[in-house]
Amino acid sequence: MKLEIGNFYVKDIVFGAKTAYENGILTISKEEALAVVKEDEHITEADIVITKPGDKVRIVPVKEAIEPRHRVGGGPVFPGVTGDLMQAGDGKTLALKNCSVLVVGKHWGGFQDGLIDMSGEGAKYTLFSQLQNICLVADTDEDFEKREQQKKNHALRWAGMRLAEYIGGCVAELQPEEVETYALEPVVKRSQEVQGLPSVVLVLQPQSQMEEMGYNDLVYGWDCNHMVPTFMHPNEVLDGAMISGSFMPCSSKWSTYDFQNYPMIKRLYQEHGKTINFLGVIMSNLNVALEQKERAALFVAQMAKSLGAEAAIVAEEGYGNPDADFIACIVALENAGVKTIGLTNECTGRDGASQPLVTLDIKADAIVSCGNVSELIELPPMEKVIGELQSLARDGLSGGWAEDELLGPSVRKDGSIIMENNAMFCGDRVAGWSTKTMVEF
Amino acid sequence: MKKKAILYLNQFFGQIGGEELADHAPEIREGLVGPAMELNKQLGDIAEVTHTIICGDNFMGSRQEEAVETILGFLADKEFDIFFAGPAFRAGRYGSACGHIGKAVKEKFGVQVISSMNDENPGVEMFKKEIYIFKGGASAAAMRKDVKAMADFGKKILTGEELLSAEKEGYYGGGRRHQVWLESEVPATERVVDMLLKKIHGEAFQTELPIPPSDLVPIAPAIKDLSKVKVALATTGGIVPVENPDRIQSASATRWGKYDMTGMDRLEAGAFKTIHAGFDPAAADADPNVIVPLDALRAYEKEGRIGSIHNYFYTTVGTGTTQGEAARMAREIVEDLKAAGVDVVIMTST
Amino acid sequence: MVKEIEKAGFTIVQMANLIPVAKTVGSNRMVPTISIPYPLGDPSTPKEQQWKLRYHRVGIALEALETDINEQTVFKVKI
Repeated sequence: MKLEIGNFYVKDIVFGAKTAYENGILTISKEEALAVVKEDEHITEADIVITKPGDKVRIVPVKEAIEPRHRVGGGPVFPGVTGDLMQAGDGKTLALKNCSVLVVGKHWGGFQDGLIDMSGEGAKYTLFSQLQNICLVADTDEDFEKREQQKKNHALRWAGMRLAEYIGGCVAELQPEEVETYALEPVVKRSQEVQGLPSVVLVLQPQSQMEEMGYNDLVYGWDCNHMVPTFMHPNEVLDGAMISGSFMPCSSKWSTYDFQNYPMIKRLYQEHGKTINFLGVIMSNLNVALEQKERAALFVAQMAKSLGAEAAIVAEEGYGNPDADFIACIVALENAGVKTIGLTNECTGRDGASQPLVTLDIKADAIVSCGNVSELIELPPMEKVIGELQSLARDGLSGGWAEDELLGPSVRKDGSIIMENNAMFCGDRVAGWSTKTMVEF
Repeated sequence: MKKKAILYLNQFFGQIGGEELADHAPEIREGLVGPAMELNKQLGDIAEVTHTIICGDNFMGSRQEEAVETILGFLADKEFDIFFAGPAFRAGRYGSACGHIGKAVKEKFGVQVISSMNDENPGVEMFKKEIYIFKGGASAAAMRKDVKAMADFGKKILTGEELLSAEKEGYYGGGRRHQVWLESEVPATERVVDMLLKKIHGEAFQTELPIPPSDLVPIAPAIKDLSKVKVALATTGGIVPVENPDRIQSASATRWGKYDMTGMDRLEAGAFKTIHAGFDPAAADADPNVIVPLDALRAYEKEGRIGSIHNYFYTTVGTGTTQGEAARMAREIVEDLKAAGVDVVIMTST
Repeated sequence: MVKEIEKAGFTIVQMANLIPVAKTVGSNRMVPTISIPYPLGDPSTPKEQQWKLRYHRVGIALEALETDINEQTVFKVKI
């Protein structure tokens, strides 16, 4: 399989009469873009706001981030989700870099939503403060979940994907400024040289713990709760086969943008043929019952062994009971003789003194750690808010609260906030961007 | 204005005398005794040592409560911003004394406490979670170096400088894990590849999450005849009356509740629900007994298999709750269980 | 939480789905349940069956309280 991603480096985004890309300037026709958003009659109100790094802007509740893209030769950017099923990861896709579509609730937030500060102290917590963001700020008539803490956010998330495809479409006829090529030979048909290198699989555990459909990450539109681990080509992940869900506390979340740019996959590609033989991705999942967790671990270990993997990397999208899936998977791999590295975040509590993962095992002896979900973060007021600041306190965001005896409410009268890292949008960057680690004090 | 520090010493370093004077009762002196001079010098412009407390190691060892109370009494009318104890080197009783008094001073006055001990000093394991204990020398030959380490860190605290990890600062880790940004800005991908290649090639590598040894409690004895005992139900599954009267948080809980089920055969849907945010609540809302199995336990009560069921069940939310908070809530629940004459507990977790 | 209650001298049994978690946090007597959201009754099965399962597993929990153990023990369930 060979995937070429043609990149266009966006330097500035402006509104104009026609959606177009020229010399690094992305112009968006707001009218047309909003018409695409409102194709779904459940969208009742919508606006688009552009934010740039350094802006004195706070964005909350952020539900999703998507890189604007276009599939060359036709077909949906997200097969099985925004259009018909087709093979992802083989062919050409165009991408607008340095920018993302952010899906923002105009009023209502939920457990899985997060916050982004575009400047100041809060900016360092998330990758998205470094991007130019096309914020879709919208509301829906999905009244059944308006006051639910867990929201599917279906209309908003799908509107975000449509918007990202619409904007990506403006480069359809243009020559990209740079082309990244991702190709792997079939596992058993690689050169002697490559076969001689230590072989490595990447095991991903995307969020799939809701038994009701509509909340979990999707693989080609299929709910990851309904699968056992399966072997995938890394290009499929980079090319829209995976989309993010609407469930996990936000700092642990992998947004769709993270899947499209999955740094750990790109990094393993760099090593492929030099220091390792990158076999591919075992797409596992996260479960709510011990038996399901054990079954997934069995499948992963068997597949790694059958593929001849000498080493594996396991990354989890979550914390709390997903740690049991994570540790079970590492232990199963180690028991099968596969040298395994874990990639995760921790929950050590506000005081840092709690057990870092809910299950631990001495076989998990090589872990890279990206942060503490319950670290307290206090930030000053911001000049402008996109969305609704109160959602952080009112709507049960995983890192916010309406009232606390010691700390007061998450959102204060002057607009300053206090929250747990949990509510920082994709704050722990477990897909691999994280420059945070955990140390003992 | 210089900040104020107070130093704790044993009878030997307090220049009272050796082992024969280890029963020396606590005393406080204005100004500097023994190592206080070096500490005062090292604190420089930032702080001065105003008082030295001296107490015999055996006095602290055998009459600990009295010693601690006396010393807290000395301090009650003193102004101070930071408290030092030792260095205690490898002296076990001295190290443990520094820990006991340091912990008490920190709790009572809310100031940071800094000590120094050798890694073989039992005081390290006993108190490294309570106070800052720097990695010190084996004997008084290391006095100057150890005092300097204590003073340097004290100055950082007093001036509000950023405090680095235990390893970088040089004290024994207190088991508090926090996130930090790597100065090198090396992303996780690089760290993974580095660790991966080292592990593949059998080279030494360092995990970022060392697995702590497990810490078990003694097993409580079996209760041979349950027909006489009172059984309590408890859960971390967040089952509460629908109005959640105690406003227990749906994650990172700091509150617990106990709710009356006198005369109920089961927990009815509509009267109870779960507020746990970590899972799909539909099943438990439709039938709360799937988390708090009152109906099944009532059946055993009617059969005479158990004596009785405690009229209240206990509840909180497990997800994201710190161990410290969980332990505190458990201790509060324990008091309640004792007062109610409960014998055994069935805890359901989600 | 279980550990703290047991430390205070109460004989306690933990009913949990995630036995590895219960073991890691130091429970001594453990009885498995069927899942996290519905530990003692699968809503997709008839009420009667849910009741049987719950009654059985609570019964095992009572047996656990009566059983002498000398290490962390997971009690076997039949349904």
